[in-house]
Amino acid sequence: MNPIALKPLSPTAKRRLIVTALVLIGLTLAYKVLYPLAFESYVGKTNAPLTYASSTQLTKTEFEALAQELSTDARQRKAAAIVDTDQEPFARQVKIEMLMNTESFIRDTEPSHIKYFREAGIHHYEGPQTCLHCHATIQVTHGDGTVKTVDTLGDIVNSVHFKFQSESGGFSTYGYDGRQVNSGAHKIPVGKINRACGIPGSFTWTGWAALVESRPEHGEGEVTMRSEGCGQCHIGGNYQPATEKMMPIGDVPSEAKDGIDCLICHSTAYDMNQRHVIQDAKGLRWNQDRSLRAALTVGPINSETCLRCHQHNMGGDAYRHNAAAQALGHVNQRILHRGAKRGNPFSPHDDTHAASGIQCTDCHVPEGHKIPRGRKGVDLVANDIPTKDVTCESCHTQAPHNQSEHKALLNGHIARLACETCHIKELEAENVVLRDWVHPTWDPEEGLFEPTDIYRSGKPGKGFTFLWFNGNGTFLANALGNNPNGSEVYNPLMQQVARLDDPEIIEAVRAKAIELKQQYPDIDVDAYVRMATDPLSQLSPDMLAKREAMIQKNLRAAMNQGESRIYPFKLFNAMMFEDMTNQGPFGAMILPFDYASYYETGDTPASVKKAISDPIVQRMYQEPFKLYMMDEFMSYFGITEGWKTVYPLVDGRLENVEPHWMRQMGTLMVNHGIQGKGRDCIECHSPDGIMDFRQLGYTPERVAELQDLDIIEKLEERPASAEAREKTVQQ
Amino acid sequence: MALSGTLLLTLMTMAPPATPAAPATDNKSCLRCHAMATLAYRDPGTGEIVDLAIEPHALSHSVHGELDCIDCHEGEFDRYPHPSDAANETLSCLGCHEKDDTEDNIARYQSIDAEYAESVHATSDAPEVEGFSCHSCHDPHGFRASQVGEKIAAIVRDGNQVCLSCHEKLRDPFSPHHAWLPNREKHWDAVRCLDCHTPLSDTEQKVSHRILPPEESNRDCVNCHSKEPSLLNRLYQYRSEEDLATKGWLNKAVFNDAYVVGMSRNATLDLLGLIVIGLTLLVLAAHGYGRYKAYQRTKGDPK
Amino acid sequence: MNALYLYSGWVRAWHWLNALLFLVLILSGASMHFAGTGWLLNFEIARPIHNVAGILVTIGWIGFVIGNLVTDNGRHYRVHLRGFFQRLFSQMRYYGYGIFQNEPHPFHPSAEMKLNTLQQLSYLGVMYLLMPVLILSGWAFLFSIYLPETLFGLGSVWVVAMTHLTVAYFLALFVLVHLYIITTGDTLSSNLRAMITGWHRETHPESQG
Repeated sequence: MNPIALKPLSPTAKRRLIVTALVLIGLTLAYKVLYPLAFESYVGKTNAPLTYASSTQLTKTEFEALAQELSTDARQRKAAAIVDTDQEPFARQVKIEMLMNTESFIRDTEPSHIKYFREAGIHHYEGPQTCLHCHATIQVTHGDGTVKTVDTLGDIVNSVHFKFQSESGGFSTYGYDGRQVNSGAHKIPVGKINRACGIPGSFTWTGWAALVESRPEHGEGEVTMRSEGCGQCHIGGNYQPATEKMMPIGDVPSEAKDGIDCLICHSTAYDMNQRHVIQDAKGLRWNQDRSLRAALTVGPINSETCLRCHQHNMGGDAYRHNAAAQALGHVNQRILHRGAKRGNPFSPHDDTHAASGIQCTDCHVPEGHKIPRGRKGVDLVANDIPTKDVTCESCHTQAPHNQSEHKALLNGHIARLACETCHIKELEAENVVLRDWVHPTWDPEEGLFEPTDIYRSGKPGKGFTFLWFNGNGTFLANALGNNPNGSEVYNPLMQQVARLDDPEIIEAVRAKAIELKQQYPDIDVDAYVRMATDPLSQLSPDMLAKREAMIQKNLRAAMNQGESRIYPFKLFNAMMFEDMTNQGPFGAMILPFDYASYYETGDTPASVKKAISDPIVQRMYQEPFKLYMMDEFMSYFGITEGWKTVYPLVDGRLENVEPHWMRQMGTLMVNHGIQGKGRDCIECHSPDGIMDFRQLGYTPERVAELQDLDIIEKLEERPASAEAREKTVQQ
Repeated sequence: MALSGTLLLTLMTMAPPATPAAPATDNKSCLRCHAMATLAYRDPGTGEIVDLAIEPHALSHSVHGELDCIDCHEGEFDRYPHPSDAANETLSCLGCHEKDDTEDNIARYQSIDAEYAESVHATSDAPEVEGFSCHSCHDPHGFRASQVGEKIAAIVRDGNQVCLSCHEKLRDPFSPHHAWLPNREKHWDAVRCLDCHTPLSDTEQKVSHRILPPEESNRDCVNCHSKEPSLLNRLYQYRSEEDLATKGWLNKAVFNDAYVVGMSRNATLDLLGLIVIGLTLLVLAAHGYGRYKAYQRTKGDPK
Repeated sequence: MNALYLYSGWVRAWHWLNALLFLVLILSGASMHFAGTGWLLNFEIARPIHNVAGILVTIGWIGFVIGNLVTDNGRHYRVHLRGFFQRLFSQMRYYGYGIFQNEPHPFHPSAEMKLNTLQQLSYLGVMYLLMPVLILSGWAFLFSIYLPETLFGLGSVWVVAMTHLTVAYFLALFVLVHLYIITTGDTLSSNLRAMITGWHRETHPESQG
């Protein structure tokens, strides 16, 4: 009946059809099965179904008992917060109980998922698939008000929280070659996944999950296992980061997607003690809390859930109000990182926004699982929504000061100063500025060798400095910007961030170097101090000249873009082993450490050898990787000759590897730990103020004007004279 | 106590500064703060941001660029903080502007006065109009009259910015008020609000200060899109003679590189076109006549 | 008497539509260009008419080009080089001299070749040279906000306007000549009738071949 079907196919046509179909099936199979296998064996990583001990099946009775407990807890807490305390304890207790059992109170207070799970008959939390049971798609509201329905799993898998990188454009980062990262045709994956970094001393591929044998001295030689690695704060539960996402084709295997930890962000009762490294037949990975207790207490995202991980990079692990650091693990406790990355905590104790109950997502307004970092980014961290602003002005307007008599003058400063400049007065004292990975120190308490923090400070001019910033940064996290007067003098890459000349700092570094010399007799104290405080001294005169020329030629344009304001920047430098074959005027390729051997033995060269024996580092030193991304990476890094694939480990010896400090300090933006009351005028506007106006590119006349403010002097006089008059009147 | 408190307040505002510093009288001292681009505060009464910033470049190039700040601002502005009543100062423009008592000048101000009295800004009873003054449009710190020879596009942009700083909602693409106007954005780039919103006059006089309400404003395209002098006498009065002279061979068609349908007619081209068409018609007529003659011949001379 | 079906339905439909639009465009265009002159259309009315007619002419022109590509009408616009100048000359000679001597037409349309060489050349020039320029400049007018500020150092709108105007004059000229040439058929109205019915009739069989 169908005219097409009526026409019989000729035998040749039939054969062609079958061959085409077979080829297509073959290609699909190859892509779905062979490619992942080939990729896994190439990078030397494994994937396997993941199981978690906390994920257990509950009987109906157990479920109801748990539900009862959680409901009572929640109601008890809320009722106790409502009923006044200034009464007979017994009377209060009776009132609390009455309130707890009121119908509307139960409805509004009981964790909502108890009802959902009960109705759906879910008595077992099995990871993402349990969530997707109901939340297969979600509605995403975009910045422009449009609403889209998206696949939930796809949304999270393609977010920076899972990928730790982005191969798209939108980076505010400029290579030392002058090119905006990933603005050209050749886009490479960049982000935390492949960013060797001096703060953690390793990177995600080689430092994902490690079990470390510690020998605390009070344990009398007994070994305690400890957990360490980047995976502790990342939502993937696999044996490695989502490496597959770095390739233009292919996807993360479904086993890895099943390993996503939904609850660490979405549950209010997530047990951080479950976050420790576990070992199975396939290797090491991070455990998760997949208990029904955590699943039933899913609630709206709030600061507390974000801070389980993010307090680490703000207040720091050792910050006294870091809740996650109080729950280091039931077993294999996580190693606490001392020396804060930024030292600007977001917590009600030290941040005015947190104190007023403002949640992270009030400023970082998410679009589905994509969360904006803000347009201004100085470091090379991927950004889910690079076009979305996160600013003070969006709430505070251009005229935020209403309290002070001098409000107009204070508002006047906004044209030149970021809010943070005055409203972050100090960072935590734990804030680490100089960290020596090469010469670790034995921590008897922990029973571990730890990197030695040569200098820590939270003080302005010491732990952080002030730089012009227009939202751009370099490939190694140096803030770019310039004095709006178009200064040719302002050159932080040769001055502020390439030198520590505060005598107090130099003295502190010297003291630390002398201390280290007792352990490492080879250390030449003078040379050590010089290298740490004047990192440019490590460059040959040729390199130094090249560096200066590259700054002028490649970075001036990016510095002069847009509107610059003065921002505070946390300073950081680290001494690590570097592959000197790939050296440029801004630094050389730093080599990662293997955590277990580092912490256990303190034998740093051995630890480097171990880390770079990892298959993926070996691949890095091969031609395909060079062509795929390393040449481009090196060009951004300021190394014009391309990536040299000379593998630095030959016959068990490190070749052309030297310990060095990076040639300049990294500058990290500090935006949290905001204090309501800002600085006093005199802190900056005086000859020995905290701001070096000359280095900031002001003319000598303007510097004099800025340092000597007759207005301030009059301001200082006024209250006194007013007081005098007050006395007169009262008499 | 309450009494002494009030007394104290009064004394505080009245008392001279305890240490009378040398009063700051030059513009530089004022601009030290007022050149800050974000010098502003939010008025506690209205919640609106009150902008105190002066753009130094605009000031020095303005019609008042030669003056010292204190020539106009006579209050106690020589110290910081300024006295709280300083904000209520009255500025006397006429103090300067009436010094020139030539007849022409007086007549000019009188006519401005008369025109303004009829302006929608003076007659409207809308609440926004309250407190409207010369300064509402003529920012004393930036205003300067357009000069002959300036780029027309720049004159239009600056002029319209004055209006649009209050009438900002008109910029909304969905605003119904100029929906009738074809190529609205193009018009706004090319003519001033004033060119339609002031009464037409064929005198030499520049644009009137009588701003018309929408219903009385010009909606007749042909007032500009023709050889009528309405637009030529207004906006295009700023064409420089030099400009006209050098581009004269194009028969004034190029008005600062602008083209106005119906107005920027190139008479040479039109003449040429019409002549060619006329000649063609003549030739065709002659050709037809020739054919007619030939046709008659065939009739008279049958084969 | 012999009859040839020269003008297919779509060609005729397009031709008359185009003719109508041309007149509308000339009238409305002149009304805007010479705005303020009494007897023309009102500017406000002329503007939308001119825009709509211009858009329709564009669609028509695209239809014409596509029609010539997909049907065999296109071959009439293919220039045959063999004997080109001779044919051109004889055609010119006919219009300039022979026609007054009652000479027979030097050209006889056939299904393969309905246009004489002079016709062919002028139509090629009009349809494939002037029309595209007119249409492009017209659209440039419509979207003038997206034009660059200047073109060749002059205001780009001015350049566009002068181009549009010049081409418009040429095309008005073409319309005049075209209207006249229609009358040079076998009889005054035979060419006109051919474009209405599609059939070209010749009454002098002896002039054949």
